[in-house]
Formats: sequence, structure tokens, C-alpha cells
Amino acid sequence: MTTLERLSKILVKNYKVDPERITLDGPLEELGIDSLGMAELLFFIEDEFKVQLPFDPVALPTLGDAVSYIDGLLAAQHGTETQTTADVTAPAPPRQPA
Amino acid sequence: MRRVAVTGIGVISPLGSSAVELFANATAGHSAIRRIEETWCKRLVSPLAACVHFNGDEHFAAPKLRMLDRVSQFAIVAARQAIGDARLDIPNADRQRVGIFLGTGMGGSQTTDDGYQTLYAKQSNRIKPFTVLMGMANAPAAWIGIEYGVTGPNLTYSTACSSSAVSIGEAWMRIRTGDLDVAIAGGAEAPLSFGGLKAWEVLHTLATEDPSDASTSCKPFSKNRSGMVLGEGAAIVVLEDWERAIQRGAIIHGELIGYGIVTDASHIARPTVAGQAAAMRAALQVAACAPASIDNINAHGTGTQANDSVETAAIKQVFGEDAFRIPISATKAIHGHLLGASGALEFALSLLAMQHDVLLPTMHLDIAAADCDLDYVSNCARHNVKINTVMSNSFAFGGTNAVLVARSAAQRAGTA
Repeated sequence: MTTLERLSKILVKNYKVDPERITLDGPLEELGIDSLGMAELLFFIEDEFKVQLPFDPVALPTLGDAVSYIDGLLAAQHGTETQTTADVTAPAPPRQPA
Repeated sequence: MRRVAVTGIGVISPLGSSAVELFANATAGHSAIRRIEETWCKRLVSPLAACVHFNGDEHFAAPKLRMLDRVSQFAIVAARQAIGDARLDIPNADRQRVGIFLGTGMGGSQTTDDGYQTLYAKQSNRIKPFTVLMGMANAPAAWIGIEYGVTGPNLTYSTACSSSAVSIGEAWMRIRTGDLDVAIAGGAEAPLSFGGLKAWEVLHTLATEDPSDASTSCKPFSKNRSGMVLGEGAAIVVLEDWERAIQRGAIIHGELIGYGIVTDASHIARPTVAGQAAAMRAALQVAACAPASIDNINAHGTGTQANDSVETAAIKQVFGEDAFRIPISATKAIHGHLLGASGALEFALSLLAMQHDVLLPTMHLDIAAADCDLDYVSNCARHNVKINTVMSNSFAFGGTNAVLVARSAAQRAGTA
């Protein structure tokens, strides 16, 4: 299962997001997950992908940002090749909040 | 001083999730108290509660629901009902002259309980990131204010079991003096976690289960009463400047005419006759009501040894010989003790009883205690009884006694 598929599963299960609305460039806020909601989503990401997130919050405005961020963590912490973006242009790296 | 109308009622209660359903079940004496069947109930002596049938998914989008403790869910939905019932147009009102006044004893206690489970029982650091926002006592009021864009005062009162009688009374004062035009006032409570139930159990306040029928375990004023049963839910009323309500053609459920608040200042848990009596007198005085003009008292009537005897003595002290004539309803027998939401729920029931000319019954009262010798409307509602003025009593651990007095809208509608 790709990173996007695994992330989508979290969104559908916990946030009842319609799978049709899930796109890489769609803002997470439009799915009802604002910066506060992101704090919780990061917990689910840690659990699903068995990665350790830095304590400081990260800004991940779109699903694509989240996917590339997770892939980066997987590569750094598990040496895993990214599996997501075979036919999609890689999104820009996530921005750190000021 | 301005007159204050009650123009909306909303309830999420063990007896039903609308004012109509609540009143029908309270009149019929149907008890919502049940034996609860959670796995942790084995560790409770009497696993009894009055639960609300409620599914948050039906009322909130999933991302928002994840941020709402059960207490906030109850409060928001009850507020929506009350505002809908009042046909209140908040967006086009002067929203700074609208206030939210909410009572809760334990706030988001389920979130706190869940957090402790995670931290201490599971030895995990993964408590929900929203723990503070869900658990804080003012979350229910804040969410109502956010939903309706209400920019006037947004206040939460926590005086244990009188919290929502206090919130309604304090809101009434603001409208009366002209500081506000409209208030959304009431209470919410969701205390039925294992931690919540256990904490009340070890205080020896909870009823033992009636072996013949668990639903009859709460027996206010009865000789064999053994304590209260915890319930959950929310009750919200819309209070409004009387003239404003008349001008916009609102349906008026009743007029709130008196509020008395007097503190025992003697013992953290033991009620006093003097304190309860003083609160009733204070409410009557502000309402300019003679004691004999009260047609029905909705008692605090918890079913505990301490409260029911003291409350009976206090009523006798205030009403004298009239105490034996005035019918008293203790509805906690069937909806349980909603703690910070109780005062508002019972105030709503008092208004509904007045509107329908029904004296609500005190259920499960076969033999009254020797020192509980008043007319408690035992076991059966009385219909077609003209009720012009009602009193609703709420007393509390901590000693804050709050009493509300309301008058029938029909009685005075044409005399403004």
C-alpha cells in the first residue's frame, strides 16, 4: 500500500472524509483538519507508519506535503524507499512554521 | 427593572431529547435509570445511571466531533434546540447584547478520565492533543458562542449541583438590569465515566440497587431511600427581555421572576436548613411573591438521606402551614442527578408543568420518611391543576443554594 493510500485510510476512518475528495494537492483544511487538527493527525501518522516525529510542529498544508514528509521520515528512520509519487510530481518539502 | 421571558427550551436528557419527549416521560413517571453494562461496572457496588441515547455523528462533522467532549456535544445540541424553539435570529441581533451562561459541575471529565487511562493505566504518553480544549470547563459555553457568533459575555458557572440554576439566575440578572437583551442559559454534564461514577460512589452518596427493579432505585423523600443516581445531559433555555419577546411575537414559556442565591458557608457536603430556607426566601422576595402564592415546588430532592430531610425542614420553615398544601415534585427519581445540568433541567420541567397544568410525580415513593411529611405528588401525576407560579430548588456540595421562581406567561401576558 502506498503512503497516500495509508494516509487516506486514516482520513476515511477517523475523519469520515469522502475518499473521492482525497487528492494530493487538496488543502487538508478543506477536509476539516486545521492546524489544531493536524496535531492529532500527526499522532495517527506516527502510529500508522511507526515513525518518530520531531516535537516541534510541522506545517503540512496539503496531503501531498504530508505524503512527502512521511516518505522523508520513512527513508531517514527506516531506510525505506518512497512509494507514493510514481506518476505524480513530488510536492514541495513541508514548511517549518516560523 | 425589565421583565424576563423564557422563549426557548432545549434538552438532551435521559428522559428524552426534546422538551416534548422529556415532559411526556416525566408526566408518565417513566424512569430512565438503568443498570449499566460496561466492563468496568464489575468494580462498582451499584452500577446504576440515567444515560442519554445520543449519537454525536448525527450532529457534528467528524473532524469537529473529535474536538468535543460528550458534555460539549450535549450542550451544543440542546442550545440548537432552544434557539430553534425560540425562533431566535442571532446573526441579525446585536450579538454583543447576547450572552452565554452555562453551568457544569465536572466539565469535560470524560476527556480527563481518558487522559488518565492513557497516561497512568497504559503508561503511554499519547494523550489526545485536544485534552485541554476538551476537558476545560468552559468548552461547552465557548462552542455555543462560536457556533452562533455570540460576542457578549460567555460565562461558565461551577457550583456543583446548583451550577445551572446559578447560570440561569445570573443570566436573568443581566437581562433584568438591561445589560443584555438575550441569554442562552443552562447547564450540561457528562459524568458517567468509570472515574466519575467511582468518585461519587466512594463518597457514599449513590443509591444501592433496588433488587426488585433497578429503575426504581432512586427514591426521593422515601423511608427506604438510599441515595442518588447519576445522570447525564443538558438543558438550555433562552431568556429574553419581555418587551423584545412580545414585539417579535415570540411564544413565551413563562416569566422568570425570582432568583435567590445564598451560601451555607458551614460544611463542604452537609446541607443546612438555614441556607436552603434563606435561598428560597431570597427568591420569593426578589419575585415579590408571597410564599402562599407558590403552586408547585420542583425540589432538589436527590434521594440522599441528608438532602431530603433538610429540604423538607427548610420548606416548612419558609412556607409554614402552607408547606403542607403546596405540591412538591422530585423528578430526579426518574431522570437521575445531572449535577451541573440538573437545575436547568428541573427549571425546564417546572415551566413545562406550568404550561400544561400538570403536577409532575415523585416516583418510587411508597412510604415517606417520618421527617418527610409534605405532599410530594407521590407516584402519579395530577392533571388539570392550575399552576401560576413555580419554584425550582437547587442545592449543592460547596453550599451554594440557588432557587428560581417563574410565573405563567398566560397569567401576565396581557399586563405588560
